[in-house]
Amino acid sequence: MDSAQAYVIVGGSAAGMAAAQAIRQRDPAAGITVLSEEADAPYFRPLIPYLVSGRKQAADMMLAGSGPYTGQNIQVWTDARVAAVDCNAQTVTLADGRQLGYGKILFATGSRPFLPPEIRGTDIEGVFALRTLDDARRMAKRAEVTRRAVMLGGGLLNLKAAFALLERGIRVTLVVFSPEVLSQLMDPDDALLIRRALDQAGLEIRTGSAAREIMRDQSGVCAVGLDDGSEIACQMVCIGKGVRPNVDFLAGSGVRTGGGIVADRFTACNQPNTFAAGDVAVTYEPVSGRPIMTALWTNAVEMGRCAGLNMAGVPTVYSGTFGILNATQVADMPFVAMGTVHTRNLDAEIHRHASADAYRKLVFDAEGRRLVGAVLVGDITNAGIYRYLIREKRDITAVKRQIVRHRLHYGHLLAI
Amino acid sequence: MTQPKEIFAITDRCVGCRTCTIACAVAHSASKTLFGAVAETPRPKSRIYVEWAPPAHKIPLVCRHCEDAPCMHACISGAIRRTDDGVVVTDADKCIGCWTCVMVCPYGMIGRDLERHKAYRCDRCPDRDIPACVAACPTGALVYQTVPAYAADVRRHASSEMVKGKGS
Amino acid sequence: MAVAEDIIEKSIDPTVHQMLARARDLGLETVWDRYEKMLPECGFGELGVCCRNCNMGPCRISPFEDQGPQRGICGATADIIVARNLIRMIAAGAAAHSDHGRDLAHTLLLTAEGKGGGYEIKDEAKLAALAAEYGIATENRSKEEIALDLARAVYAEFGKQEGFVQFTRRAPAKRVARWQKMGIDPRGIDREIVEIMHRTHIGVDNDPVNLILQGLKASIADGWGGSMIATEISDVLFGTPAPVRSTANLGVLKKDEVNIVAHGHEPVLSEMILAAASDPDLVAEAKSLGAKGINVVGMCCTGNEIIMRHGIPLAGNFMQQELAVITGAVEAMIVDVQCIMPALGSLCECFHTRFISTSYKAKFPGAVHIQFSEEKALEVAKQIVKVAVENYPRRVADKVFIPEEKTECMVGFSTEAVVKALGGTLDPLLEAIKSGAVRGIAGVVGCNNPKIKHDHGHVALVRELIKNNVLVVTTGCNAIACAKAGLMLPEAADEAGEGLRGVCQALGVPPVLHMGSCVDISRILATCAAVANALGVDISDLPVAGAAPEWMSEKAVSIGAYVVSSGIFTVLGTVPPVLGGPVVTDVLTRGAEDVVGAVFAVETDPVRGAGLMIAHIDKKRAALGL
Repeated sequence: MDSAQAYVIVGGSAAGMAAAQAIRQRDPAAGITVLSEEADAPYFRPLIPYLVSGRKQAADMMLAGSGPYTGQNIQVWTDARVAAVDCNAQTVTLADGRQLGYGKILFATGSRPFLPPEIRGTDIEGVFALRTLDDARRMAKRAEVTRRAVMLGGGLLNLKAAFALLERGIRVTLVVFSPEVLSQLMDPDDALLIRRALDQAGLEIRTGSAAREIMRDQSGVCAVGLDDGSEIACQMVCIGKGVRPNVDFLAGSGVRTGGGIVADRFTACNQPNTFAAGDVAVTYEPVSGRPIMTALWTNAVEMGRCAGLNMAGVPTVYSGTFGILNATQVADMPFVAMGTVHTRNLDAEIHRHASADAYRKLVFDAEGRRLVGAVLVGDITNAGIYRYLIREKRDITAVKRQIVRHRLHYGHLLAI
Repeated sequence: MTQPKEIFAITDRCVGCRTCTIACAVAHSASKTLFGAVAETPRPKSRIYVEWAPPAHKIPLVCRHCEDAPCMHACISGAIRRTDDGVVVTDADKCIGCWTCVMVCPYGMIGRDLERHKAYRCDRCPDRDIPACVAACPTGALVYQTVPAYAADVRRHASSEMVKGKGS
Repeated sequence: MAVAEDIIEKSIDPTVHQMLARARDLGLETVWDRYEKMLPECGFGELGVCCRNCNMGPCRISPFEDQGPQRGICGATADIIVARNLIRMIAAGAAAHSDHGRDLAHTLLLTAEGKGGGYEIKDEAKLAALAAEYGIATENRSKEEIALDLARAVYAEFGKQEGFVQFTRRAPAKRVARWQKMGIDPRGIDREIVEIMHRTHIGVDNDPVNLILQGLKASIADGWGGSMIATEISDVLFGTPAPVRSTANLGVLKKDEVNIVAHGHEPVLSEMILAAASDPDLVAEAKSLGAKGINVVGMCCTGNEIIMRHGIPLAGNFMQQELAVITGAVEAMIVDVQCIMPALGSLCECFHTRFISTSYKAKFPGAVHIQFSEEKALEVAKQIVKVAVENYPRRVADKVFIPEEKTECMVGFSTEAVVKALGGTLDPLLEAIKSGAVRGIAGVVGCNNPKIKHDHGHVALVRELIKNNVLVVTTGCNAIACAKAGLMLPEAADEAGEGLRGVCQALGVPPVLHMGSCVDISRILATCAAVANALGVDISDLPVAGAAPEWMSEKAVSIGAYVVSSGIFTVLGTVPPVLGGPVVTDVLTRGAEDVVGAVFAVETDPVRGAGLMIAHIDKKRAALGL
């Protein structure tokens, strides 16, 4: 046991590695140890669908040395799952029995896929919940014998996995309980263009359906039974039903959890020298101020950097994040959803504009003076300026016309 | 390390001719010539923008290579890094076209190359002594200076304007 | 329909608001959208300091002395470049008007020779008057014989090398003497235009003032030459306009008839389209296809030509040409030359509208070309109308949206009609001016321009003028704006000041008199000349002023130049591309006073622009001792 360890980071993904990088920038000499339960060295998790599609190799996804992750002497222990934390002794115990002391510790253990218990057979060979690089490897292997795959859940992660499989020539059916895909990111009406693009790309989508049972034969998955009694023969099932924070290792530690790990505005937990960041942390939404949890790389990096600065002695307020802050492109249709975008029964001023190849919904507060949310589909130009306006709660009266017509540019903000 | 130079815009000097945008696109073309560039497919793209805001502002806008570049940290594929010269660059090989950088840039300075499905932005012309836009600006609205040198110029200009003002 | 605030700010015309909202719903682009996308416009162009006249360049002069080149590669200064560019604009404008005049002369020639396919000489009195001006014998000669001589005489004006252009001699003797003294009395029409092209070639005329003088010379050849020929010969062939009532604005399109929009400039085409549209066979065919009839409406100056001679309704001015198509109710947009947006082609493709070009000089992407021919005029016109009629069944009911608004108007005040309204002599007008009931006369003309809120520049300026007892005479897109705004009704006298109101009520005329299309600014010149001659003074002594509140075309530059050259102070509502040349700017706004007795002013606010005109009128009144 090396109690001289100044910084221990539990979790080697976005939040953990961003924190390690931030600490290293402030403190070139400090000892930094990252404990990752995965066998792989830290990697860009959002890229794993590319391993399934075959477009990238694992080596192309490694974090160290890429982008801002250039800090030296960050010790990463792989296969190092933390089993317990003793906040009085300031030690952690690994599942294999090793112990490690810490000066300051960051909990950035992320989340794991949620497997709905009402679906029978989620443990069958060929059933996946794509989360880790290892999941992706196994999924790629299974894809070799898969002619048809069923995706359960219409979220972004499942859509990306679906397209990875489509690229491999596999027939893919998406089973969505909600009335429309991407229901977490937008109202059904906002998703029409994306839905059309998905349909045109060859994805089969069944909305309003739920899986009851996954069936097996000698080679693993052979079919999915739906709640309407129908069955879809398939060789692979991918479950995308949300995630749950990894907090079990904190049982008995005294670190306060409530859904996730509760952190204050300086990313600190209730025990001395403990911090939390990323998917596992409960943060708050800047517009409403209410507590939320997100599972987004970008948010995790931001909070992780903030935690790293706080740990390194630079008090830094974490300004929170939108529960919804997504940009991506599926089926050649780029879109951005951010801030308050579910507007049914919402007291808000809403401007929608639809054309053949673009859609936008801009959500203002009830007084119409502040932008609170935006969905941009097709044309996402200058989305970052909207994000800035939402986040800073700027009075947008002077540029509202430009926002509504999607003509806003930074020059307008300089001129007002 | 010497202080890196940056591109500054003197907005009251901009006449809105967009010569900078042409020079930028040509500098990022394969042929590096205007007549060659207009024949290339896909067309080379300018990384500098000249916008208009009422009542009559002409505003050149270009990537500021922010110190804490939000795009770099937000990138989900590790494609954006800062060079030793302080230039924030996008590695097209690593870019997967997810547009997260577009979503977080508060200045709207990241373009989307739809043909290549890659994000692009000002790279401050690494092969040139002076960025193409600055070299091309016919009115001196764009300057390439270190921060202290530019600040000194602005102070000098302001004081000479004051002297002129008194004399009139 | 709730209309976005930014659309409301684009125009004062409710039909424009409705149609732009409609365009936005349909995802269609209009001139306003393209203007916004063009912003910022290039400052070098705005200042007039870019030169592409030779291939050492292109050159542009930096407006900031300490930064960037101050001389072109040949050594040209900003003033030289600005002056060259400006007079090239005059050359283009004068060429456009004059070529229009030439087409009319050609039509008169063919008609006189008996080769005109349907034209006839309608105004023999005017024919006789023009013959007298040209010294052509009329006694015991047929109208065709006289017309033949007249046609040859006016035709010759274009290629004349020496002497003078006959109609310039309508100007007061003092004016002509002034032109001669300054060396700007044009020798012919084409010659002065050609000489501009020569002088602005690399290494020829590099004296900004000398260049501008040539510009004025060519412009005089337009206003008192090409344009005046266009007006006068049109009157001979199609009749001199007399007051007639009609309606204006997009509401003139009919939801149950074949709608034909005649757009462009020359009456040679539109007159025959009108004739063809009343052809019983074509009307019967239209009815057999479910239409109640054939509805021809005018657009831009073609609209002015046919409303003032026939009372044909006017659909709108320059900025409304796309909006007419967006109504979805136009079977054919028939065009000849000038001010026709190439955007119409792709726009018409979004609807059933046939976009038909008719002049070999003016072809457009997306247009069907049916070559018009004066020799077979009626035959070709019928062919064109037939295309429109047969297109009626392709109209898509769901896509039709015609605004209801249309405004009554009284138009057709040619100089002759004005004199007639006055009881056969100018005296009542002169008396009214002397008494101060009519403070002065303003000629308000010109285009539309998205830089100015559509029609606001026109209407606000005109309203301010009549409120201050200034009688307004108008042509072109300003005339259409005034018609739509209800200013061309005798009842609009209520908006006029007390003196002007009384005069209008006594004569039963509107306070804003429609004098025709943009070539018909020659009517304004002729009226001014007549008033000046009656008073025995020069035009520059008269309490008159001009304005082009929303101008944009090169023709407007030529118009401005000849109006000022004729001695009339002129206010421009958009900034001409000359401010990069301080000498040129000074010549136009101050120095020209010594040369032609009038200057330009630039004022983008229409009410303040009217103020400048009124102040000028008052100054001239004082000088006349009124």
